[in-house]
Amino acid sequence: MALTRENIVEGLEEIVGQEQVITDEAVLRESSVDRFRRFEELHGVFTQPIPAAVVYVHTTEETAAVLKFANDNMINIVPRTGHTATEGGLETIAENSVVVDGSAMNKIIKIDTYNMQATCQCGTPLQVLEDQLREKGFTTGHSPQSKPLAQMGGLVATRSIGQFSTLYGGIEDMVVGLEAVFPNGKITKIKNVPRRAAGPDIRHVVIGNEGALCFITEVTVKIYKYMPENNILLGYTLDNMKTGFEILREVMVNGYKPSVARLYDPEDGAYHFSHFADGKCVIIFMAEGPEKISAATAEAIEAIVAKYDECQKVDTRYIQTWFDHLNWDASNVAEERAEIVETKNIGNTTEISANWDIINSIYETCVERIRNEIPDMTLVGGHSSHSYINGTNLYFVHYYNVVDCKPEEEITKYHRPIKKIIVEETIKAGGSMCHHHGVGKHRTDWIRDEYDTSYYILETLKKSFDPKGIMNRGTIFPA
Amino acid sequence: MYILTCFKVVPDLDKLSGSSWTIDDQLNIETAFVSKMINPYDESALEIALQLSDQITTSGTTAELSAITIGNSQADLYLKSLRALGYKKACRINCSIDLRFNPEYIAALIGAYIKQNNPCDLILMGRQSGEGDNAKTPFITAEIIGWPCIADVLKVDYISPKLISVTNLTDNGILRQTVKLPCLLAVGNAPNSHLRVPTLKTIKTVGNEPARVIEDKNLIKFVKPGQKINGAKLLGLELIDHTRQGIIIEGNSAEEKALLLYNNYLKGWLADNGL
Repeated sequence: MALTRENIVEGLEEIVGQEQVITDEAVLRESSVDRFRRFEELHGVFTQPIPAAVVYVHTTEETAAVLKFANDNMINIVPRTGHTATEGGLETIAENSVVVDGSAMNKIIKIDTYNMQATCQCGTPLQVLEDQLREKGFTTGHSPQSKPLAQMGGLVATRSIGQFSTLYGGIEDMVVGLEAVFPNGKITKIKNVPRRAAGPDIRHVVIGNEGALCFITEVTVKIYKYMPENNILLGYTLDNMKTGFEILREVMVNGYKPSVARLYDPEDGAYHFSHFADGKCVIIFMAEGPEKISAATAEAIEAIVAKYDECQKVDTRYIQTWFDHLNWDASNVAEERAEIVETKNIGNTTEISANWDIINSIYETCVERIRNEIPDMTLVGGHSSHSYINGTNLYFVHYYNVVDCKPEEEITKYHRPIKKIIVEETIKAGGSMCHHHGVGKHRTDWIRDEYDTSYYILETLKKSFDPKGIMNRGTIFPA
Repeated sequence: MYILTCFKVVPDLDKLSGSSWTIDDQLNIETAFVSKMINPYDESALEIALQLSDQITTSGTTAELSAITIGNSQADLYLKSLRALGYKKACRINCSIDLRFNPEYIAALIGAYIKQNNPCDLILMGRQSGEGDNAKTPFITAEIIGWPCIADVLKVDYISPKLISVTNLTDNGILRQTVKLPCLLAVGNAPNSHLRVPTLKTIKTVGNEPARVIEDKNLIKFVKPGQKINGAKLLGLELIDHTRQGIIIEGNSAEEKALLLYNNYLKGWLADNGL
């Protein structure tokens, strides 16, 4: 028989103590959603089942005991650290869920500058780790927009990526080893080695699991020398996205690794760069690293761009001021919340990836369809911000006025139809529906299409590691 | 009712890092590389005018909204958005002189614009802009056109074609009064006044028609002889150091930290202040 809310809270209190089990109604309501449902939340509407408790775990052993208790009693667990998820991954869709919050596990365990790796607990804010590293002349190379707010466990769990990824890679390229707890209470530690060929790379069972398989308690990432004095920023305006994709491709295919390689369409460009874009696309690069490599990278990019007559170089200071304000902190979030409430205008994003030969057609088709099919749009555009040798990503940006509908209808009237267009067009063309935000709970309808025959491998992971299905129900895998 | 709102496009100074502040020979701070925005107080004025217009329309009468700005072509993008939001006339007075500390010149141009056959019953504008922080333009403009002026306006409600209700902040609290038009309102820290966003569809209806532009020299000639049109002369600029020290209180629990805060910092401060 299922435990009552009271039984669940009592059981948790026995494990971790009363102080670490939060049952305050306001906290529970806020913990039933993430940024995907912020329009509802901002209007005081909570449509998801309210969790039974939020548990702040302080040790790996506590985490194991909490997960085992949940597993034994069929309680849905929603793992969380920084609470910055955007795709519904933190929504508590099952009755009497328990949110397990690792943000109190925030110690930096070791910064090893000889072996160039840093180990920290899951609740360590990336900003804190990065600040400490930079004081010593090092960097993680990881810089997602959420850097001031996001924490290491969540960043690994969602397979995040940062603005300097073209040089440093995504989080999956940075994680050396980690510790994770599985629902049966088993604590597993993957050791920190440069590489090994002892079977499949099991780090990838954990990286990107979105709390649907296990709870990440500790992470070790690579670190790099921090040499901002060698950074060279380059920026250009141009007429067409197609040309921009060609330039990005040429840079990548010829083996150059700028840390930043970003292409904005006119709409998204106007949002960020209205003071110089003048209705055009904008392409930005940053060469980084040792002085000679940085200079050679910048020189090569300039030579590639010079072949395209439509590109006009812009003063580096425009790009520098943009670069100085890349990330979102708590004040940006607070400002956004006030604007949404007052204007009923809300913006969301959907990120996909695709090979070079199809990326432009996906971009054009999606933007045209959203403009034509979705009402009350105020901005539809996008940018490419992470490039690879075989393709790039597209970060669609979509803003709309919420008109003639209740707060709880915003998702069905606008957000999901927009996502549906982008996801379906991308999968149809042969791309991937998720580039770096994760599947969450709102792209699970298409997860089988995303994986096709390889879904067998993914599904088997769930069946093996979470046979009772207590880990973050409805995330990655349809409920 | 004819409603005119005056606004200014300014650099977003929050995006200018302290280390990026450079001052040229003409005592200009380099802001060309910083993104632009509508001065936040003016943004509130523009939204309040739209809210008032909504009320007037609901009551069965009509409102005609106009917006003017003074400056260079960087404002044209915003004029287009305002037209899409329902500002029937949106016009820019082209001006290349330094207006940072010259509210007299700005007020003279606004006064001349109104005199040049642009009737209005109500004028709204932000109380000040971050560039000069003079907070004088509304008062000087009101003086030039001979209208009453209410400062620090928070909210405006429609009563009748010649009467509005104005809520404003005063030294003694929040005051709500019924005001006979015409009147000039200087909008302050108004709640619920982020400017609404036009849809792509409404922007399309505006088309690519260029913004209406009037040269300042064609307006200033209508200024009454003897009226002051020059503001303060800028002699120097100095960066004020706003840095503050901070200490992170370490402790094992919230109670322990609160106790440390009280014993080490608050206790003495409270005693010093007789509290």
